[in-house]
Amino acid sequence: MINGNLKATYGADERVLNNRNKQMFVFGSIILLSLFPLFADDYSVLMACKMGILLIAVVGVNVLTGYTGLVSLGHGAFVAIGAYSTVIFSNLFSGLPTGILPFIVVPLAIAVSALTGIIVGLPSLRVKGLYLAVATLAASFIVKFLIEQDLFAPWTGGIVGIDTPVPSLLGWELDTKREMYVLITALALGTMLAAQNLFRTRVGRAFIAIRDRDYSAEILGISLLRYKLMSFAISAGYCGLSGALGAYFFARILPEQFGLDLSLELVAALIVGGMGRTLGPLFGVVVVMLVPELIKISMAAATGGSLELARYTGPVQEIVFGLLLVFFLLKEPLGINQITDRILRSANRWPFARG
Amino acid sequence: MTSPATLRNVQARQRALPDLRRTLSLPLNTESFLGKIAKSGTPYLAQRKVRSAMLSISDLYLSFGGIKALQGVSFDAKEGEITGVIGPNGAGKTSLFNAISGFYAPNRGTVTFDGSDITGISPDKRASLGMARTFQNIALFRGMTVLDNIKLGGHTRLNTGLFSSFKYFGSARREELELRRDIEERVIDFLEIDHIRKYPITMLSYGLQKRVELARALAMKPRVLLLDEPVAGMNREETADMARFILDVQEQFGTTILLVEHDMHMVMDICSHIVVLNFGQQIASGTPAEVSQNPAVIEAYLGAAA
Amino acid sequence: MGQFIQFAINGLMSGAIYALIAVGIVSVYKATKVVNFAHGYLIMFGAYFYFTFAVIIPGQDWAPAWLASWKPDWMVEMRRGLGMFSLLGAVLDWAANVPRIICGLIGAVVCNAILGRVVERTLMRPLMGQSVFAMIMVTVGLISILSGSASLIWTADAAFVPHIAPNTPIRFELFGSMIFLFGADIVNMIIALIIFGSIVAMVKFTKGGVAIRATAEDQSTAYSMGISVPKIFSRAWVLASATGAVAGAILATRNGISPSLGLFGFSVLAIVLMGGLDSYVGCFIAAMAVGVLEAMTQWKMGGEWAEIVPYVAVLIVIIFRPHGLMGQKEVERI
Repeated sequence: MINGNLKATYGADERVLNNRNKQMFVFGSIILLSLFPLFADDYSVLMACKMGILLIAVVGVNVLTGYTGLVSLGHGAFVAIGAYSTVIFSNLFSGLPTGILPFIVVPLAIAVSALTGIIVGLPSLRVKGLYLAVATLAASFIVKFLIEQDLFAPWTGGIVGIDTPVPSLLGWELDTKREMYVLITALALGTMLAAQNLFRTRVGRAFIAIRDRDYSAEILGISLLRYKLMSFAISAGYCGLSGALGAYFFARILPEQFGLDLSLELVAALIVGGMGRTLGPLFGVVVVMLVPELIKISMAAATGGSLELARYTGPVQEIVFGLLLVFFLLKEPLGINQITDRILRSANRWPFARG
Repeated sequence: MTSPATLRNVQARQRALPDLRRTLSLPLNTESFLGKIAKSGTPYLAQRKVRSAMLSISDLYLSFGGIKALQGVSFDAKEGEITGVIGPNGAGKTSLFNAISGFYAPNRGTVTFDGSDITGISPDKRASLGMARTFQNIALFRGMTVLDNIKLGGHTRLNTGLFSSFKYFGSARREELELRRDIEERVIDFLEIDHIRKYPITMLSYGLQKRVELARALAMKPRVLLLDEPVAGMNREETADMARFILDVQEQFGTTILLVEHDMHMVMDICSHIVVLNFGQQIASGTPAEVSQNPAVIEAYLGAAA
Repeated sequence: MGQFIQFAINGLMSGAIYALIAVGIVSVYKATKVVNFAHGYLIMFGAYFYFTFAVIIPGQDWAPAWLASWKPDWMVEMRRGLGMFSLLGAVLDWAANVPRIICGLIGAVVCNAILGRVVERTLMRPLMGQSVFAMIMVTVGLISILSGSASLIWTADAAFVPHIAPNTPIRFELFGSMIFLFGADIVNMIIALIIFGSIVAMVKFTKGGVAIRATAEDQSTAYSMGISVPKIFSRAWVLASATGAVAGAILATRNGISPSLGLFGFSVLAIVLMGGLDSYVGCFIAAMAVGVLEAMTQWKMGGEWAEIVPYVAVLIVIIFRPHGLMGQKEVERI
């Protein structure tokens, strides 16, 4: 592929943002995101925050499923663990000054999620593919069940849920959506960057090797045990962070928010957006969150706001969600990322024809 | 980027080239070839007369249920030499390799690597000890480019941790660039694959894929290199190229090479010691001259009118 | 002791129903190497179809009266003399429902078979030959489609359906204690076992069954042997949907109609994995075992904890036998 793209140092060759357009895209996006809360209405900020929280979890699932090739249908459980750990630890350490509480509680929540991830990931050492998928499914049902039990209700609030604390970062109380937006966006960007960096180094490469051909990875010195568990830990940790942010963002958390629906939403967002790529999760989250909104708005408009027909919105959203997932699997299994790739490639070539 | 290293390689190969081409078209004429190599002046080989066994297989037994894959195989792969393993299909050659790599645990017998017994050690640990291997049906990672595949060979030599990886800028980046430099200059130039190093694996021809797999093994800086049918399915030209590269690896890096192959010309030419397997049993072991005249070998494998 | 036996028998009866559900999953897997994660929802649709044909349609104004309630004169005569708790009386009461039960079952099986065929055609066929992951994720997408469609068509309200068999309590003595069983449950179990047995026999002994197994092993070879692989796929899905309809009807009579019927699919998925995905014997044993374990858990720890029994069990089994009790390990040639 001769394209006149010559570099003088290896460092320059390894750069990710290697042309003007990419640099402008990234920096432009950051500027837009920073200005967003200044002129957007409350509902949009709410949506943006929800998207940011979901994004972190989907990036985590991307590490496990997109890059390491291990399928999990139960990652909603780790989000739950992150959320509930945040609440439980906040209550446990309520003696400490509120300004430093998040700095202790959130890393602890991430650690607990990561640890649970390692435990849930243990079957991955012995079984492949769909056995693992069902094992993770089973684990997530067990976690949700335990959260709902009256036995643990003093800590988890049981089936009716529990109120969540307001985070305070060294005195700055984030009790409005816009303030949370800043935190969420910063963390979302940071985690996406961290994930991308991971795949520029040996750890990330090892994950991809395990996905593509695990016995070949072994022969190169990659311990399958260590790296599969590491992948589970990382993805569970990311989901835990997402859960922690969710706990701080929403006034109250309930076990039904973390059921099978969430796990399937995560995987669907990943597939729709594009597995195994940095921006895939972003595209997926945007689609998975915006499409139900669009349906809600268009159905309200079509039926003229009738309450009777409004009860159809839920089922229709569900059906469209399923259809979306199936459509992408049949037509574009590499997700929206692949579509944008194609567009950018032909834009790059323009006005020349293919090849 | 024609580095001085590349230039040296090219000159060395050009020297060996006429000999190799001529010999490959002659039937099984080995002594003169080895003599020529010794004469063409690699002091390393000429000086070392008595070599120790780098890889030692002792009394290896391996069976799967009723199938006896290996029955009492014993031989040494001497340091810095090329040892060949030949035999008809189903003789147990790949099972032998899998046992040496650590995928199969033998029922009896030991595998010794540079003096230490590695029989119970897992495959990934054997890699960090310095054992590299290529596979019969190419085992490259199809989701990555050539460069990334080769970089994976360097996995055991790096030690970037998880949190440094997240940060990237700092020690991780330094290590990555160091690895890149080493691979480009030592391996990619050496095997003449710099024009395809950014290509995804799926775009490469079979011959090039085999070469990339060799490159990946070399990136490990191995002390022992196990090559499982490196020239399977290649034409004469590709075979000559690959044989050249294998010889270069032996000369330049002093790697011990263990080779499974069906191409008799190549095996007889480049190997200094050959082991013959048939139905899991070792039926001969010796220099190419000895093996090619061994009646049991001729009957089982080579065919009478050789 | 008596309680133990009571619960054990209840457990076995549940187990039989799980086995019936499991046979659909295993059959589709055997033929297509795809695990249908949405099987529970196919069963739910079968239950809803049964509800439609057994309750909704007979309830319509245009339906003949005998469909809703068949009470010929001789039956009314016989019934008049009998007491409230007599066995014959209960049977006669049930007999009045027979037409709609038959209508319900036939309607459910036919409609579900059509549904299975449509699903296979539109969703599975295009993915033939692609990665198993893609096929599995399509079934996951199918979960949402089926769940949403059911809520849309029938609303999420719970409802009641007529029992397939007379629901009389049967009392008998066993090992010195009183056991209570319901006739309906026994008949359900018998139906489940018969269907399970016939499918296993079919796959093992008939030409069609051999074709199914051949397709599962190696699609391209099966093709070259003259087996129409698409037809096999189709048959497997229709079979799974049809048996699923009966399973759905049975479940509905026990638990009532509601969207939560779909969740049975996941516990049976765990059961199938426990027994080994490609083994009928394995899934039967696992189904019975889980049924009894659930009953025992219900007895000792209360009904709630019985919910997670299959999930805990599958995790434990996977640790010791990664491919299920009777599953076959897939060998990869290096």
